[in-house]
Amino acid sequence: MLVISRKSVEHLRAAIFIRDLKAKSDNEAIRKMLDSLGGYPQVKDLESLATAVFERQETDPPLFPGGIAFPHARTDSVSALVMVFATCKEAIPFGNTRVRLIFLIGVPKHAGAEYLEIISFLAKHVRGERTLDRLMEATDLSSFLAAFAEPNG
Amino acid sequence: MDNAEEDPQKRRLSPLFRRLLKIKVWLVDRFRLSERQITLIWAALVGFLGACASESFRKASSLLHYAATGSDSGIILSFEHLPWWQRLAVPAVGGLLAGLTLWLGSRLFSSVRQKTTTDYMEAIVVGSGNISVRASIVKSLSALFSISTGTSIGREGPLVQLSSLVASLVARMRNFPIPQRRHLVACGAAAGIASAYNAPIAASFFVAEIILGTVVVESLGPIILASVVAAFTSQLLHGAEPLYKSPGFNLHTQWEMIPLSCVGIVLGFVAPAYLRLLRSAERLFSKIDIAVPLKLALGGAIVGLLAIFNPAVCGNGQGLLRSLFHQGWFWDEILAILLLKLIATATAFGSGVVGGVFTPTLFIGAAIGMLYGQAILYIAPGLRSDPAMYGLVGMGAFIAATTGAPLMGILMAFELTLDYALAPFLMVNCVVAYYCSSIFERRFMYGESLERKGAAFFNQQLAEVNIQDLVRVNPITLPKNATFARIAETFVQHRFQHIYITDKENRLLGAVSLHDVKTFLDRPELETVVIAADIMNEDFPRVSPRQGMGEALHKFSEANSERLPVVDDLSSQRLIGSISKTDIILHLAGDQKR
Repeated sequence: MLVISRKSVEHLRAAIFIRDLKAKSDNEAIRKMLDSLGGYPQVKDLESLATAVFERQETDPPLFPGGIAFPHARTDSVSALVMVFATCKEAIPFGNTRVRLIFLIGVPKHAGAEYLEIISFLAKHVRGERTLDRLMEATDLSSFLAAFAEPNG
Repeated sequence: MDNAEEDPQKRRLSPLFRRLLKIKVWLVDRFRLSERQITLIWAALVGFLGACASESFRKASSLLHYAATGSDSGIILSFEHLPWWQRLAVPAVGGLLAGLTLWLGSRLFSSVRQKTTTDYMEAIVVGSGNISVRASIVKSLSALFSISTGTSIGREGPLVQLSSLVASLVARMRNFPIPQRRHLVACGAAAGIASAYNAPIAASFFVAEIILGTVVVESLGPIILASVVAAFTSQLLHGAEPLYKSPGFNLHTQWEMIPLSCVGIVLGFVAPAYLRLLRSAERLFSKIDIAVPLKLALGGAIVGLLAIFNPAVCGNGQGLLRSLFHQGWFWDEILAILLLKLIATATAFGSGVVGGVFTPTLFIGAAIGMLYGQAILYIAPGLRSDPAMYGLVGMGAFIAATTGAPLMGILMAFELTLDYALAPFLMVNCVVAYYCSSIFERRFMYGESLERKGAAFFNQQLAEVNIQDLVRVNPITLPKNATFARIAETFVQHRFQHIYITDKENRLLGAVSLHDVKTFLDRPELETVVIAADIMNEDFPRVSPRQGMGEALHKFSEANSERLPVVDDLSSQRLIGSISKTDIILHLAGDQKR
């Protein structure tokens, strides 16, 4: 099991969880997830964050086998790492890939190491079939995070 | 061998001639003069010529002094016979003339600018061994005006300068390589000091300890020879008497060893205050926004003003030192002249008078030592101490504490007085004074000057280096969408600490640092999710060929990197290559060697 820092654990606990996100496209899904960050104290400028995330999507959409997307951006429009997790019962098309699980991450420019640690942690765990199922079954943030604590399968 | 095949020329050589030729070849082979031996010969010549240059300066100084005061006796005696207004006017006019010389010199010869009194140090330590002839003459002429008219400054400065100049000229004429040229200038400096103080051993160690920073036989040998030759030449002209011959001291009781061993503690603690006084005077005068001639005239006028009350304040203090050791001085007289001398020396030094502070410093050390001796005599009259003995030891201790050169201090005080009985006390006190002074002071008398010159030289060298000449083209780059796998692979293949990220037009977007990613290089899960754009530092420092090397080095410190990307223009950001810190250092080192 991958060990992560206390700070990253705190970021995970402060994340927003959206159960059963419905959207017709990747942009709509990302927009909805971004909107959930409205009023979030760490987000200094939501529109700048949105621009950065969409720009990053255009460069090379970060997708993972099994229908997992990692829309993210390193931008100074956030003062600390922010995350929104979403499960989608109905898969959302991200280009040619049907996505069921989305991890949206906003990282301040200075927090490159935290960003790599979180991404690495998430990407490593979602590779397990059983973890993926448990994540999809999660009803709230606690059960979502609990899925990471269990052994991969 | 068949004779028919021999060269007809060879056949003409007789057996005797051949034998002689063989002997000659053997002799040349055995007794061929190496570079070291040749340096010794030149060092001896430099010693002689240096002493001649010093003597010429002395003669010129005496003539000018006579012209200014109408007296050919010593500076103090001459000033005693002058009316009050002349005591004021002579140093002030001397300062004005000295300043005008510098001012005119700087206007006529650009090389005079930015050079200070200790050019020979620069030439030996950081320079090419070349000393500007014009600059040296201008400065020596300026010093001549100041010294002849009673300013409280040492003659040793211009004497060493001229002697070093002679050495530099000899080295240039012989077209010696830079290290040898520098070495010969060091010999010249030692010759100047040796002829100024009739102290060849101390002169050798002054150059070795203070300027070269090493006492290695390889470099010391020629320096010693130059000093000895210079001292002998001076002795032929002035006699072999030591400059401040000791009247001969005896300890009346062995208990006196205790206070005598503690003079160094007092002087070691006073020395930093003295150095700060000199620096403060320099700062104070630098704030006075007037032309150099007026500044030096002001410095001279202050000395003249003090001379109205006590003419003994004039000159370098050589006469005073002799008088201190041989005539009974009361403590209040010593204190008064000490305070006046401190003001006069600080004023002369601060106003920028060309000259040295070595002799005034010797006097100040001796005066403080004598005051200490007077205090011991008052506290413990049973010891029957001779304060002059403390003065002599104090002189050595103070010079050791102010120059940061205890070895030179011991030898100088010993050679100046030739009192063997006091040698052990000199040794103890010079070392103790140096250690006490080092607690509060790290910038000693000549070290600071060398430091400044070193920095100036380095900056000049840096300014001359062109970034364009050191650019390595075709640096390793990746596009901003390069995957983490590719980044990791690139880092493994190349030993660079940073990979530059560029766009299609080869514009620099940022750099990915190995330091940032090294812990994640073995994570396969990142290989496709993370790209260069996610982890690059967009603000990574960069330089353009239009920037100076000093600026580039500053950016190196910001980036904490061995290499910096070079862009053609800071607005267009087109990457043309990279520049490495090592290349700059090697380039600078190469410049030094040339």
